[in-house]
Amino acid sequence: MRINEEEIRKLTLQAIEELGDKATPDLVKQVVEKSVTNLGKIPEGNDSADFSSGRIILTSFGINHPGIIAGITTSLSEHSVDIRDLSQKILGEFYTMIMIIDISNSPNDLREIQEAMNAVSEKLKVKIYLQHEDVFRYMHRI
Amino acid sequence: MNYEFEEILETIRMTEIEHFDIRTVTLGISLRDCVDRNLEVTKQKIYEKITKYGKHHVQYAEAVEAEYGVAIANKRVAVTPISIPFDTYKMDDFVEIAKVLDKAAVEIGIDYLGGFAALVQKGFTRGELELIKSIPYALSETQHICSNVNVASTKAGINMDAINMMADVIKSLAEKTKDRGSIGCAKLVVYCNVPEDNPFIAGAFHGVTEPEVVLNVGISGPGVVLEAVKEAGNCDMNTLADVIKKTAFKITRAGELIGNKVAEKHGIPFGIVDVSLAPTPAKGDSIGDILKAMGVEDVGAPGTTAALAMLNDSVKKAGLMASTSVGGLSGAFIPVSEDQGMIQAVEAGHLSLEKLEAMTAVCSVGLDMVAVPGDTPADTIAGIIADECAIGMINDKATAVRIIPIYGKKVGETYDYGGLLGAAPVMPVSDLSSQGFVQRGGKIPAPTRSLTN
Repeated sequence: MRINEEEIRKLTLQAIEELGDKATPDLVKQVVEKSVTNLGKIPEGNDSADFSSGRIILTSFGINHPGIIAGITTSLSEHSVDIRDLSQKILGEFYTMIMIIDISNSPNDLREIQEAMNAVSEKLKVKIYLQHEDVFRYMHRI
Repeated sequence: MNYEFEEILETIRMTEIEHFDIRTVTLGISLRDCVDRNLEVTKQKIYEKITKYGKHHVQYAEAVEAEYGVAIANKRVAVTPISIPFDTYKMDDFVEIAKVLDKAAVEIGIDYLGGFAALVQKGFTRGELELIKSIPYALSETQHICSNVNVASTKAGINMDAINMMADVIKSLAEKTKDRGSIGCAKLVVYCNVPEDNPFIAGAFHGVTEPEVVLNVGISGPGVVLEAVKEAGNCDMNTLADVIKKTAFKITRAGELIGNKVAEKHGIPFGIVDVSLAPTPAKGDSIGDILKAMGVEDVGAPGTTAALAMLNDSVKKAGLMASTSVGGLSGAFIPVSEDQGMIQAVEAGHLSLEKLEAMTAVCSVGLDMVAVPGDTPADTIAGIIADECAIGMINDKATAVRIIPIYGKKVGETYDYGGLLGAAPVMPVSDLSSQGFVQRGGKIPAPTRSLTN
Protein backbone atom coordinates (compact mmCIF):
# COMPACT_ATOMS: atom_id res chain seq x y z
CA MET A 1 0.00 0.00 0.00
CA ARG A 2 1.41 3.35 -0.95
CA ILE A 3 1.39 5.92 1.84
CA ASN A 4 1.29 9.59 0.97
CA GLU A 5 3.04 12.49 2.60
CA GLU A 6 -0.03 13.67 4.44
CA GLU A 7 -0.36 10.34 6.21
CA ILE A 8 3.30 10.29 7.20
CA ARG A 9 2.93 13.79 8.64
CA LYS A 10 -0.08 12.65 10.62
CA LEU A 11 1.83 9.65 11.95
CA THR A 12 4.77 11.82 12.92
CA LEU A 13 2.58 14.27 14.82
CA GLN A 14 0.87 11.40 16.58
CA ALA A 15 4.23 9.84 17.51
CA ILE A 16 5.49 13.15 18.94
CA GLU A 17 2.34 13.55 20.96
CA GLU A 18 2.51 10.00 22.32
CA LEU A 19 6.20 10.21 23.19
CA GLY A 20 5.70 13.57 24.95
CA ASP A 21 8.85 14.71 26.71
CA LYS A 22 10.82 11.69 25.56
CA ALA A 23 10.54 12.68 21.88
CA THR A 24 13.92 12.92 20.15
CA PRO A 25 14.34 13.05 16.36
CA ASP A 26 15.79 9.53 16.30
CA LEU A 27 13.10 8.02 18.49
CA VAL A 28 10.30 9.65 16.45
CA LYS A 29 11.87 8.34 13.27
CA GLN A 30 11.96 4.83 14.69
CA VAL A 31 8.32 4.91 15.80
CA VAL A 32 7.10 6.30 12.48
CA GLU A 33 9.03 3.74 10.47
CA LYS A 34 7.52 0.94 12.51
CA SER A 35 3.97 2.28 12.06
CA VAL A 36 4.48 2.61 8.30
CA THR A 37 5.53 -1.02 7.99
CA ASN A 38 2.53 -2.15 10.01
CA LEU A 39 0.11 0.01 8.03
CA GLY A 40 0.39 -1.86 4.78
CA LYS A 41 -0.19 -5.26 6.33
CA ILE A 42 -3.23 -7.36 5.56
CA PRO A 43 -4.10 -10.72 7.09
CA GLU A 44 -1.91 -13.37 5.53
CA GLY A 45 -3.90 -15.95 3.62
CA ASN A 46 -3.55 -19.47 4.91
CA ASP A 47 -3.62 -21.77 1.93
CA SER A 48 -2.60 -24.80 3.92
CA ALA A 49 -5.37 -24.27 6.50
CA ASP A 50 -5.62 -27.67 8.11
CA PHE A 51 -8.72 -29.79 8.36
CA SER A 52 -10.13 -31.10 11.57
CA SER A 53 -9.06 -34.57 10.49
CA GLY A 54 -7.62 -36.39 7.51
CA ARG A 55 -10.70 -38.55 7.10
CA ILE A 56 -12.05 -38.65 3.58
CA ILE A 57 -15.11 -40.44 2.27
CA LEU A 58 -14.58 -42.24 -0.99
CA THR A 59 -17.70 -43.17 -2.90
CA SER A 60 -17.62 -45.26 -6.02
CA PHE A 61 -20.38 -46.62 -8.21
CA GLY A 62 -20.98 -47.98 -11.66
CA ILE A 63 -21.48 -51.24 -13.49
CA ASN A 64 -20.01 -54.13 -11.54
CA HIS A 65 -17.04 -56.05 -12.91
CA PRO A 66 -14.08 -57.83 -11.34
CA GLY A 67 -11.11 -55.81 -10.10
CA ILE A 68 -12.79 -52.54 -9.05
CA ILE A 69 -11.89 -52.67 -5.37
CA ALA A 70 -8.49 -54.09 -6.24
CA GLY A 71 -7.84 -51.21 -8.64
CA ILE A 72 -8.89 -48.58 -6.12
CA THR A 73 -7.10 -50.05 -3.11
CA THR A 74 -3.86 -50.66 -5.03
CA SER A 75 -3.69 -47.00 -5.93
CA LEU A 76 -4.59 -45.98 -2.36
CA SER A 77 -1.83 -48.15 -0.92
CA GLU A 78 0.69 -46.66 -3.35
CA HIS A 79 -0.14 -43.29 -1.73
CA SER A 80 0.12 -44.74 1.82
CA VAL A 81 -3.56 -44.13 2.46
CA ASP A 82 -5.12 -45.95 5.39
CA ILE A 83 -8.51 -47.61 4.82
CA ARG A 84 -10.64 -47.32 7.95
CA ASP A 85 -13.93 -48.78 6.83
CA LEU A 86 -15.49 -50.20 3.72
CA SER A 87 -18.95 -51.29 2.73
CA GLN A 88 -20.62 -52.09 -0.52
CA LYS A 89 -23.96 -53.00 -1.99
CA ILE A 90 -24.73 -54.73 -5.25
CA LEU A 91 -28.05 -54.23 -6.96
CA GLY A 92 -28.43 -56.21 -10.15
CA GLU A 93 -25.50 -55.24 -12.35
CA PHE A 94 -24.73 -52.05 -10.39
CA TYR A 95 -22.50 -51.73 -7.40
CA THR A 96 -22.02 -48.93 -4.86
CA MET A 97 -19.01 -48.86 -2.59
CA ILE A 98 -18.23 -46.48 0.22
CA MET A 99 -14.88 -46.28 1.98
CA ILE A 100 -13.68 -44.16 4.84
CA ILE A 101 -10.00 -43.45 4.32
CA ASP A 102 -7.44 -41.55 6.32
CA ILE A 103 -4.84 -39.55 4.44
CA SER A 104 -3.06 -38.01 7.42
CA ASN A 105 -0.09 -40.40 7.06
CA SER A 106 0.11 -40.05 3.30
CA PRO A 107 2.91 -37.94 1.82
CA ASN A 108 0.38 -36.74 -0.79
CA ASP A 109 -2.38 -34.19 -0.25
CA LEU A 110 -6.05 -34.66 -1.06
CA ARG A 111 -5.74 -33.05 -4.47
CA GLU A 112 -2.99 -35.45 -5.57
CA ILE A 113 -4.96 -38.44 -4.33
CA GLN A 114 -8.03 -37.13 -6.16
CA GLU A 115 -5.99 -36.97 -9.34
CA ALA A 116 -4.77 -40.54 -8.84
CA MET A 117 -8.38 -41.65 -8.32
CA ASN A 118 -9.44 -39.84 -11.49
CA ALA A 119 -6.96 -41.98 -13.39
CA VAL A 120 -8.30 -45.14 -11.73
CA SER A 121 -11.85 -44.01 -12.47
CA GLU A 122 -11.11 -43.65 -16.16
CA LYS A 123 -9.32 -46.96 -16.38
CA LEU A 124 -12.09 -48.91 -14.62
CA LYS A 125 -14.94 -46.92 -16.19
CA VAL A 126 -16.60 -46.23 -12.82
CA LYS A 127 -17.34 -43.06 -10.86
CA ILE A 128 -15.16 -42.21 -7.88
CA TYR A 129 -15.75 -39.22 -5.59
CA LEU A 130 -13.52 -38.12 -2.74
CA GLN A 131 -14.95 -35.65 -0.25
CA HIS A 132 -13.75 -34.58 3.15
CA GLU A 133 -15.73 -36.22 5.95
CA ASP A 134 -16.83 -32.84 7.36
CA VAL A 135 -19.34 -32.23 4.58
CA PHE A 136 -21.25 -35.38 5.59
CA ARG A 137 -20.90 -34.62 9.28
CA TYR A 138 -22.30 -31.11 8.78
CA MET A 139 -25.20 -32.26 6.63
CA HIS A 140 -26.29 -35.38 8.49
CA ARG A 141 -25.26 -34.89 12.13
CA ILE A 142 -26.33 -32.15 14.49
CA MET B 1 -19.38 -47.05 9.62
CA ASN B 2 -20.27 -43.65 11.14
CA TYR B 3 -22.61 -42.80 8.31
CA GLU B 4 -25.52 -44.63 6.80
CA PHE B 5 -25.15 -45.70 3.20
CA GLU B 6 -28.19 -43.62 2.30
CA GLU B 7 -26.81 -40.47 3.90
CA ILE B 8 -23.67 -40.56 1.84
CA LEU B 9 -25.54 -41.30 -1.34
CA GLU B 10 -27.99 -38.48 -0.59
CA THR B 11 -25.13 -35.97 -0.47
CA ILE B 12 -23.60 -37.32 -3.66
CA ARG B 13 -27.01 -37.17 -5.38
CA MET B 14 -27.49 -33.54 -4.30
CA THR B 15 -24.12 -32.37 -5.57
CA GLU B 16 -23.87 -34.49 -8.69
CA ILE B 17 -27.42 -34.72 -10.00
CA GLU B 18 -29.64 -32.11 -8.37
CA HIS B 19 -27.45 -29.02 -9.02
CA PHE B 20 -26.79 -28.30 -5.36
CA ASP B 21 -24.04 -25.74 -5.28
CA ILE B 22 -22.83 -22.85 -3.24
CA ARG B 23 -24.08 -20.04 -5.43
CA THR B 24 -21.55 -17.51 -4.32
CA VAL B 25 -18.73 -16.84 -1.91
CA THR B 26 -18.54 -13.07 -1.71
CA LEU B 27 -15.59 -11.25 -0.24
CA GLY B 28 -16.71 -7.98 1.37
CA ILE B 29 -14.03 -5.29 1.42
CA SER B 30 -14.32 -1.89 3.09
CA LEU B 31 -13.09 0.98 0.93
CA ARG B 32 -13.66 3.61 3.60
CA ASP B 33 -9.95 4.26 3.99
CA CYS B 34 -9.33 4.70 0.27
CA VAL B 35 -10.36 8.31 -0.17
CA ASP B 36 -7.90 11.04 -1.08
CA ARG B 37 -8.24 14.60 -2.39
CA ASN B 38 -6.46 13.47 -5.51
CA LEU B 39 -8.60 11.17 -7.69
CA GLU B 40 -5.56 9.36 -9.06
CA VAL B 41 -4.38 8.48 -5.55
CA THR B 42 -7.89 7.32 -4.64
CA LYS B 43 -8.02 5.09 -7.70
CA GLN B 44 -4.68 3.58 -6.85
CA LYS B 45 -5.71 2.94 -3.25
CA ILE B 46 -8.92 1.24 -4.37
CA TYR B 47 -7.09 -0.94 -6.88
CA GLU B 48 -4.40 -1.94 -4.45
CA LYS B 49 -6.79 -2.75 -1.65
CA ILE B 50 -9.08 -4.94 -3.75
CA THR B 51 -6.27 -6.78 -5.45
CA LYS B 52 -4.44 -7.32 -2.16
CA TYR B 53 -7.39 -8.84 -0.34
CA GLY B 54 -8.87 -10.52 -3.37
CA LYS B 55 -5.85 -11.93 -5.16
CA HIS B 56 -6.32 -15.47 -3.80
CA HIS B 57 -10.12 -15.40 -3.60
CA VAL B 58 -10.77 -17.58 -6.64
CA GLN B 59 -7.89 -19.93 -5.83
CA TYR B 60 -9.05 -20.49 -2.22
CA ALA B 61 -12.64 -21.07 -3.28
CA GLU B 62 -11.55 -23.61 -5.89
CA ALA B 63 -9.43 -25.46 -3.34
CA VAL B 64 -12.38 -25.76 -0.92
CA GLU B 65 -14.62 -26.79 -3.82
CA ALA B 66 -12.31 -29.71 -4.61
CA GLU B 67 -11.84 -30.78 -1.00
CA TYR B 68 -15.53 -31.06 -0.20
CA GLY B 69 -16.90 -31.96 -3.60
CA VAL B 70 -19.42 -29.12 -3.47
CA ALA B 71 -19.32 -26.75 -6.43
CA ILE B 72 -19.03 -23.01 -5.82
CA ALA B 73 -20.70 -21.38 -8.81
CA ASN B 74 -19.50 -17.80 -8.33
CA LYS B 75 -16.62 -16.07 -6.61
CA ARG B 76 -17.36 -12.40 -6.14
CA VAL B 77 -16.46 -9.22 -4.31
CA ALA B 78 -18.63 -6.55 -2.66
CA VAL B 79 -17.32 -3.15 -1.59
CA THR B 80 -18.52 -0.25 0.56
CA PRO B 81 -21.29 1.72 -1.20
CA ILE B 82 -19.12 3.90 -3.42
CA SER B 83 -21.11 7.07 -2.70
CA ILE B 84 -20.17 6.97 1.00
CA PRO B 85 -16.36 7.25 1.12
CA PHE B 86 -16.18 9.20 -2.15
CA ASP B 87 -18.94 11.70 -1.48
CA THR B 88 -16.85 14.67 -2.60
CA TYR B 89 -16.48 13.44 -6.16
CA LYS B 90 -18.35 14.47 -9.28
CA MET B 91 -20.15 12.39 -11.87
CA ASP B 92 -17.14 11.92 -14.16
CA ASP B 93 -14.98 10.90 -11.21
CA PHE B 94 -17.46 8.18 -10.27
CA VAL B 95 -17.24 6.77 -13.79
CA GLU B 96 -13.46 6.70 -13.38
CA ILE B 97 -13.87 4.87 -10.06
CA ALA B 98 -16.18 2.31 -11.73
CA LYS B 99 -13.50 1.70 -14.33
CA VAL B 100 -10.81 1.10 -11.75
CA LEU B 101 -13.14 -1.31 -9.89
CA ASP B 102 -13.64 -3.08 -13.21
CA LYS B 103 -9.89 -3.34 -13.70
CA ALA B 104 -9.43 -4.75 -10.19
CA ALA B 105 -12.18 -7.33 -10.83
CA VAL B 106 -10.39 -8.51 -13.98
CA GLU B 107 -7.06 -8.65 -12.16
CA ILE B 108 -8.35 -11.01 -9.45
CA GLY B 109 -10.35 -13.09 -11.93
CA ILE B 110 -13.93 -12.54 -10.76
CA ASP B 111 -16.96 -12.00 -13.01
CA TYR B 112 -18.87 -9.42 -10.95
CA LEU B 113 -18.09 -6.84 -8.28
CA GLY B 114 -20.98 -5.21 -6.39
CA GLY B 115 -21.17 -1.97 -4.46
CA PHE B 116 -21.46 0.88 -6.94
CA ALA B 117 -24.24 1.91 -4.62
CA ALA B 118 -26.04 4.67 -2.77
CA LEU B 119 -28.47 4.65 0.17
CA VAL B 120 -30.90 7.51 -0.43
CA GLN B 121 -34.16 6.45 1.23
CA LYS B 122 -34.31 9.63 3.29
CA GLY B 123 -32.61 12.06 0.92
CA PHE B 124 -29.50 12.70 -1.13
CA THR B 125 -26.07 14.04 -0.35
CA ARG B 126 -24.30 15.81 -3.23
CA GLY B 127 -22.09 12.81 -3.86
CA GLU B 128 -25.08 10.46 -3.97
CA LEU B 129 -26.78 12.62 -6.60
CA GLU B 130 -23.59 12.59 -8.66
CA LEU B 131 -23.21 8.82 -8.30
CA ILE B 132 -26.80 8.17 -9.43
CA LYS B 133 -26.28 10.41 -12.45
CA SER B 134 -23.12 8.48 -13.29
CA ILE B 135 -24.74 5.01 -13.23
CA PRO B 136 -25.73 4.84 -16.95
CA TYR B 137 -22.16 5.73 -17.96
CA ALA B 138 -20.46 3.64 -15.28
CA LEU B 139 -22.41 0.45 -16.08
CA SER B 140 -22.31 0.84 -19.86
CA GLU B 141 -18.56 1.52 -19.90
CA THR B 142 -17.62 -1.40 -17.63
CA GLN B 143 -18.17 -5.16 -17.82
CA HIS B 144 -18.06 -6.44 -14.27
CA ILE B 145 -19.55 -3.72 -12.08
CA CYS B 146 -22.98 -4.00 -10.47
CA SER B 147 -24.92 -1.16 -8.95
CA ASN B 148 -27.76 -0.79 -6.50
CA VAL B 149 -29.62 2.12 -4.98
CA ASN B 150 -31.82 1.88 -1.90
CA VAL B 151 -34.74 4.29 -2.34
CA ALA B 152 -37.07 3.31 0.49
CA SER B 153 -37.22 1.72 3.93
CA THR B 154 -39.76 0.96 6.62
CA LYS B 155 -38.05 3.47 8.91
CA ALA B 156 -37.66 6.28 6.39
CA GLY B 157 -40.53 5.89 3.93
CA ILE B 158 -40.27 6.07 0.15
CA ASN B 159 -38.12 8.67 -1.60
CA MET B 160 -40.25 9.34 -4.69
CA ASP B 161 -37.69 11.77 -6.14
CA ALA B 162 -35.09 9.00 -6.03
CA ILE B 163 -37.50 6.59 -7.71
CA ASN B 164 -38.13 9.05 -10.53
CA MET B 165 -34.39 9.50 -10.98
CA MET B 166 -33.85 5.75 -11.02
CA ALA B 167 -36.57 5.27 -13.64
CA ASP B 168 -34.70 7.73 -15.87
CA VAL B 169 -31.39 6.00 -15.10
CA ILE B 170 -32.91 2.65 -16.12
CA LYS B 171 -34.24 4.06 -19.40
CA SER B 172 -30.93 5.73 -20.19
CA LEU B 173 -28.94 2.61 -19.32
CA ALA B 174 -31.24 0.50 -21.51
CA GLU B 175 -30.47 2.76 -24.44
CA LYS B 176 -26.74 2.90 -23.79
CA THR B 177 -26.50 -0.91 -23.79
CA LYS B 178 -29.06 -1.50 -26.57
CA ASP B 179 -26.59 -3.60 -28.60
CA ARG B 180 -26.64 -6.29 -25.95
CA GLY B 181 -30.35 -6.38 -25.08
CA SER B 182 -30.03 -3.47 -22.62
CA ILE B 183 -27.89 -5.71 -20.41
CA GLY B 184 -26.84 -2.74 -18.27
CA CYS B 185 -30.22 -2.91 -16.52
CA ALA B 186 -29.49 -6.51 -15.46
CA LYS B 187 -26.65 -5.11 -13.36
CA LEU B 188 -28.75 -2.51 -11.55
CA VAL B 189 -31.09 -3.11 -8.60
CA VAL B 190 -33.43 -0.60 -6.97
CA TYR B 191 -34.10 -1.57 -3.36
CA CYS B 192 -36.37 -1.03 -0.40
CA ASN B 193 -34.96 -2.16 3.00
CA VAL B 194 -31.71 -3.35 1.48
CA PRO B 195 -29.78 -5.87 3.61
CA GLU B 196 -26.16 -4.78 4.15
CA ASP B 197 -24.63 -8.24 4.02
CA ASN B 198 -26.30 -9.74 0.98
CA PRO B 199 -23.73 -11.78 -0.96
CA PHE B 200 -25.82 -12.07 -4.12
CA ILE B 201 -24.92 -9.96 -7.13
CA ALA B 202 -26.29 -7.61 -8.52
CA GLY B 203 -27.53 -6.29 -5.18
CA ALA B 204 -24.43 -6.99 -3.08
CA PHE B 205 -22.46 -4.36 -1.22
CA HIS B 206 -20.31 -4.23 1.91
CA GLY B 207 -22.44 -2.36 4.45
CA VAL B 208 -21.05 0.49 6.54
CA THR B 209 -21.50 -1.48 9.77
CA GLU B 210 -19.50 -4.42 8.41
CA PRO B 211 -15.90 -5.13 9.46
CA GLU B 212 -12.82 -4.28 7.39
CA VAL B 213 -13.13 -7.46 5.39
CA VAL B 214 -15.55 -10.39 5.64
CA LEU B 215 -16.63 -13.47 3.76
CA ASN B 216 -20.32 -14.11 3.11
CA VAL B 217 -21.88 -17.12 1.44
CA GLY B 218 -25.03 -17.51 -0.62
CA ILE B 219 -26.34 -21.04 -0.95
CA SER B 220 -28.60 -22.37 -3.62
CA GLY B 221 -30.42 -25.58 -4.33
CA PRO B 222 -33.84 -25.38 -5.96
CA GLY B 223 -33.06 -28.69 -7.68
CA VAL B 224 -32.59 -30.44 -4.34
CA VAL B 225 -35.84 -29.05 -2.93
CA LEU B 226 -37.68 -29.92 -6.15
CA GLU B 227 -36.64 -33.58 -5.92
CA ALA B 228 -37.60 -33.70 -2.24
CA VAL B 229 -41.05 -32.22 -2.96
CA LYS B 230 -41.58 -34.67 -5.81
CA GLU B 231 -40.53 -37.57 -3.60
CA ALA B 232 -42.89 -36.47 -0.82
CA GLY B 233 -45.78 -37.10 -3.23
CA ASN B 234 -49.36 -36.50 -2.23
CA CYS B 235 -48.97 -35.49 1.42
CA ASP B 236 -50.64 -32.71 3.40
CA MET B 237 -49.19 -29.20 3.85
CA ASN B 238 -47.61 -29.85 7.25
CA THR B 239 -45.70 -32.84 5.95
CA LEU B 240 -44.64 -30.93 2.84
CA ALA B 241 -43.36 -27.99 4.91
CA ASP B 242 -41.39 -30.47 6.97
CA VAL B 243 -39.83 -32.07 3.89
CA ILE B 244 -38.73 -28.66 2.59
CA LYS B 245 -37.29 -27.71 5.97
CA LYS B 246 -35.26 -30.90 6.29
CA THR B 247 -33.77 -30.43 2.84
CA ALA B 248 -33.01 -26.73 3.31
CA PHE B 249 -31.42 -27.54 6.67
CA LYS B 250 -28.90 -29.87 5.07
CA ILE B 251 -27.88 -27.52 2.30
CA THR B 252 -27.50 -24.65 4.76
CA ARG B 253 -25.19 -26.74 6.91
CA ALA B 254 -23.03 -27.48 3.88
CA GLY B 255 -23.05 -23.74 3.04
CA GLU B 256 -21.90 -22.79 6.49
CA LEU B 257 -19.07 -25.33 6.33
CA ILE B 258 -17.87 -24.12 2.94
CA GLY B 259 -18.08 -20.45 3.99
CA ASN B 260 -16.10 -21.09 7.14
CA LYS B 261 -13.43 -22.98 5.26
CA VAL B 262 -12.98 -20.30 2.57
CA ALA B 263 -12.83 -17.60 5.27
CA GLU B 264 -10.28 -19.70 7.18
CA LYS B 265 -8.07 -19.91 4.12
CA HIS B 266 -8.25 -16.13 3.68
CA GLY B 267 -7.55 -15.65 7.37
CA ILE B 268 -10.56 -13.33 7.68
CA PRO B 269 -13.84 -13.47 9.65
CA PHE B 270 -16.81 -15.41 8.31
CA GLY B 271 -19.93 -13.26 8.02
CA ILE B 272 -23.26 -14.83 7.14
CA VAL B 273 -24.95 -17.58 5.20
CA ASP B 274 -27.66 -16.29 2.91
CA VAL B 275 -30.07 -19.21 2.86
CA SER B 276 -31.62 -18.70 -0.51
CA LEU B 277 -33.11 -20.80 -3.23
CA ALA B 278 -31.58 -19.12 -6.25
CA PRO B 279 -32.60 -20.69 -9.54
CA THR B 280 -30.53 -20.98 -12.71
CA PRO B 281 -31.69 -21.53 -16.27
CA ALA B 282 -30.54 -25.17 -16.01
CA LYS B 283 -33.33 -27.72 -16.29
CA GLY B 284 -34.66 -28.75 -12.88
CA ASP B 285 -32.97 -25.86 -11.04
CA SER B 286 -36.18 -23.85 -10.95
CA ILE B 287 -38.43 -22.28 -8.32
CA GLY B 288 -41.26 -22.36 -10.87
CA ASP B 289 -40.91 -26.14 -11.06
CA ILE B 290 -41.03 -26.43 -7.24
CA LEU B 291 -44.31 -24.45 -7.18
CA LYS B 292 -45.71 -26.79 -9.83
CA ALA B 293 -44.52 -29.85 -7.89
CA MET B 294 -46.33 -28.40 -4.86
CA GLY B 295 -49.53 -28.70 -6.86
CA VAL B 296 -50.41 -25.58 -8.90
CA GLU B 297 -50.94 -26.28 -12.60
CA ASP B 298 -48.51 -23.54 -13.59
CA VAL B 299 -46.88 -20.51 -11.98
CA GLY B 300 -49.56 -17.83 -11.89
CA ALA B 301 -52.47 -20.13 -11.03
CA PRO B 302 -54.50 -19.12 -7.95
CA GLY B 303 -52.65 -20.64 -4.99
CA THR B 304 -49.22 -19.76 -6.37
CA THR B 305 -48.66 -16.99 -3.81
CA ALA B 306 -49.63 -19.28 -0.93
CA ALA B 307 -47.33 -22.03 -2.18
CA LEU B 308 -44.45 -19.56 -2.50
CA ALA B 309 -45.13 -18.16 0.98
CA MET B 310 -44.86 -21.63 2.49
CA LEU B 311 -41.72 -22.43 0.51
CA ASN B 312 -40.06 -19.15 1.51
CA ASP B 313 -40.95 -19.53 5.17
CA SER B 314 -39.82 -23.16 5.37
CA VAL B 315 -36.45 -22.25 3.89
CA LYS B 316 -36.00 -19.45 6.45
CA LYS B 317 -36.95 -21.67 9.39
CA ALA B 318 -34.56 -24.40 8.32
CA GLY B 319 -31.80 -21.88 7.77
CA LEU B 320 -32.23 -20.39 11.24
CA MET B 321 -31.82 -23.82 12.82
CA ALA B 322 -28.89 -24.82 10.64
CA SER B 323 -26.71 -21.76 10.96
CA THR B 324 -25.90 -19.36 13.77
CA SER B 325 -25.34 -16.53 11.31
CA VAL B 326 -28.17 -16.30 8.81
CA GLY B 327 -28.35 -13.01 6.95
CA GLY B 328 -28.73 -11.35 3.58
CA LEU B 329 -31.98 -11.96 1.74
CA SER B 330 -32.56 -15.59 2.79
CA GLY B 331 -35.59 -17.02 1.04
CA ALA B 332 -36.76 -17.98 -2.43
CA PHE B 333 -35.75 -15.84 -5.41
CA ILE B 334 -38.21 -15.53 -8.26
CA PRO B 335 -36.28 -14.02 -11.15
CA VAL B 336 -38.03 -14.54 -14.47
CA SER B 337 -35.23 -14.92 -17.02
CA GLU B 338 -33.02 -17.04 -14.74
CA ASP B 339 -35.67 -19.70 -14.13
CA GLN B 340 -36.91 -22.07 -16.81
CA GLY B 341 -40.23 -22.71 -15.05
CA MET B 342 -40.94 -18.97 -14.77
CA ILE B 343 -39.97 -18.33 -18.41
CA GLN B 344 -42.38 -21.01 -19.60
CA ALA B 345 -45.18 -19.61 -17.44
CA VAL B 346 -44.68 -16.12 -18.93
CA GLU B 347 -44.50 -17.45 -22.48
CA ALA B 348 -47.67 -19.46 -21.98
CA GLY B 349 -49.43 -16.30 -20.75
CA HIS B 350 -50.00 -17.82 -17.30
CA LEU B 351 -47.88 -15.37 -15.32
CA SER B 352 -48.54 -11.64 -15.51
CA LEU B 353 -46.52 -8.80 -14.03
CA GLU B 354 -49.39 -8.18 -11.58
CA LYS B 355 -49.39 -11.77 -10.27
CA LEU B 356 -45.62 -11.63 -10.06
CA GLU B 357 -45.94 -8.48 -7.95
CA ALA B 358 -48.26 -10.31 -5.55
CA MET B 359 -45.72 -13.13 -5.32
CA THR B 360 -42.97 -10.67 -4.40
CA ALA B 361 -44.89 -9.81 -1.24
CA VAL B 362 -44.03 -13.26 0.12
CA CYS B 363 -40.71 -14.06 -1.56
CA SER B 364 -37.31 -12.88 -0.42
CA VAL B 365 -36.57 -10.28 -3.07
CA GLY B 366 -38.88 -8.73 -5.61
CA LEU B 367 -39.41 -8.13 -9.31
CA ASP B 368 -36.20 -9.66 -10.55
CA MET B 369 -34.89 -9.91 -14.12
CA VAL B 370 -38.22 -8.80 -15.55
CA ALA B 371 -38.10 -7.67 -19.18
CA VAL B 372 -40.68 -5.14 -20.35
CA PRO B 373 -41.16 -3.43 -23.73
CA GLY B 374 -38.45 -0.92 -24.65
CA ASP B 375 -41.01 1.87 -25.06
CA THR B 376 -42.36 1.56 -21.50
CA PRO B 377 -42.48 5.19 -20.21
CA ALA B 378 -40.17 6.17 -17.34
CA ASP B 379 -43.22 7.17 -15.28
CA THR B 380 -44.63 3.66 -15.58
CA ILE B 381 -41.30 2.17 -14.45
CA ALA B 382 -41.34 4.62 -11.52
CA GLY B 383 -44.86 3.45 -10.68
CA ILE B 384 -43.75 -0.20 -10.73
CA ILE B 385 -40.80 0.59 -8.44
CA ALA B 386 -43.04 2.60 -6.09
CA ASP B 387 -45.50 -0.33 -5.83
CA GLU B 388 -42.69 -2.72 -5.02
CA CYS B 389 -41.25 -0.34 -2.42
CA ALA B 390 -44.69 0.00 -0.83
CA ILE B 391 -44.85 -3.78 -0.39
CA GLY B 392 -41.41 -3.79 1.22
CA MET B 393 -42.02 -0.74 3.40
CA ILE B 394 -45.36 -1.90 4.82
CA ASN B 395 -44.27 -5.52 5.34
CA ASP B 396 -40.88 -4.58 6.76
CA LYS B 397 -39.02 -6.74 4.26
CA ALA B 398 -36.48 -6.31 1.49
CA THR B 399 -37.98 -5.80 -1.93
CA ALA B 400 -36.13 -4.97 -5.10
CA VAL B 401 -36.73 -4.17 -8.73
CA ARG B 402 -34.40 -5.31 -11.49
CA ILE B 403 -36.37 -4.39 -14.57
CA ILE B 404 -35.10 -4.32 -18.15
CA PRO B 405 -36.99 -2.22 -20.71
CA ILE B 406 -35.21 -3.96 -23.60
CA TYR B 407 -34.52 -1.32 -26.22
CA GLY B 408 -36.53 -1.94 -29.41
CA LYS B 409 -38.22 -5.11 -28.11
CA LYS B 410 -41.95 -5.71 -27.88
CA VAL B 411 -44.24 -8.08 -25.99
CA GLY B 412 -43.82 -11.65 -27.26
CA GLU B 413 -40.16 -11.24 -28.11
CA THR B 414 -37.34 -12.76 -26.05
CA TYR B 415 -33.73 -11.75 -25.53
CA ASP B 416 -31.21 -14.42 -24.61
CA TYR B 417 -28.39 -13.06 -22.43
CA GLY B 418 -26.77 -16.45 -22.07
CA GLY B 419 -25.15 -17.84 -18.94
CA LEU B 420 -26.81 -17.38 -15.56
CA LEU B 421 -28.85 -14.36 -16.71
CA GLY B 422 -30.86 -16.61 -19.01
CA ALA B 423 -33.44 -15.65 -21.62
CA ALA B 424 -35.88 -12.85 -20.83
CA PRO B 425 -39.36 -12.92 -22.40
CA VAL B 426 -40.80 -9.40 -22.72
CA MET B 427 -43.83 -9.12 -20.41
CA PRO B 428 -46.83 -6.89 -21.07
CA VAL B 429 -47.16 -3.76 -18.90
CA SER B 430 -50.37 -1.86 -18.17
CA ASP B 431 -51.00 1.04 -20.58
CA LEU B 432 -52.56 3.13 -17.83
CA SER B 433 -50.52 6.17 -16.85
CA SER B 434 -48.84 6.62 -13.44
CA GLN B 435 -47.58 10.09 -14.30
CA GLY B 436 -49.94 12.19 -12.17
CA PHE B 437 -48.98 10.22 -9.09
CA VAL B 438 -45.23 9.70 -9.43
CA GLN B 439 -44.53 13.22 -10.71
CA ARG B 440 -45.76 14.69 -7.43
CA GLY B 441 -42.27 13.86 -6.15
CA GLY B 442 -41.29 14.27 -2.52
CA LYS B 443 -41.56 11.45 -0.06
CA ILE B 444 -44.17 8.91 0.98
CA PRO B 445 -43.95 9.19 4.78
CA ALA B 446 -42.81 6.22 6.87
CA PRO B 447 -45.67 3.97 8.02
CA THR B 448 -46.86 3.52 11.61
CA ARG B 449 -44.85 0.30 11.65
CA SER B 450 -41.69 2.43 11.68
CA LEU B 451 -42.49 3.69 15.18
CA THR B 452 -41.30 0.63 17.06
CA ASN B 453 -39.22 2.36 19.71
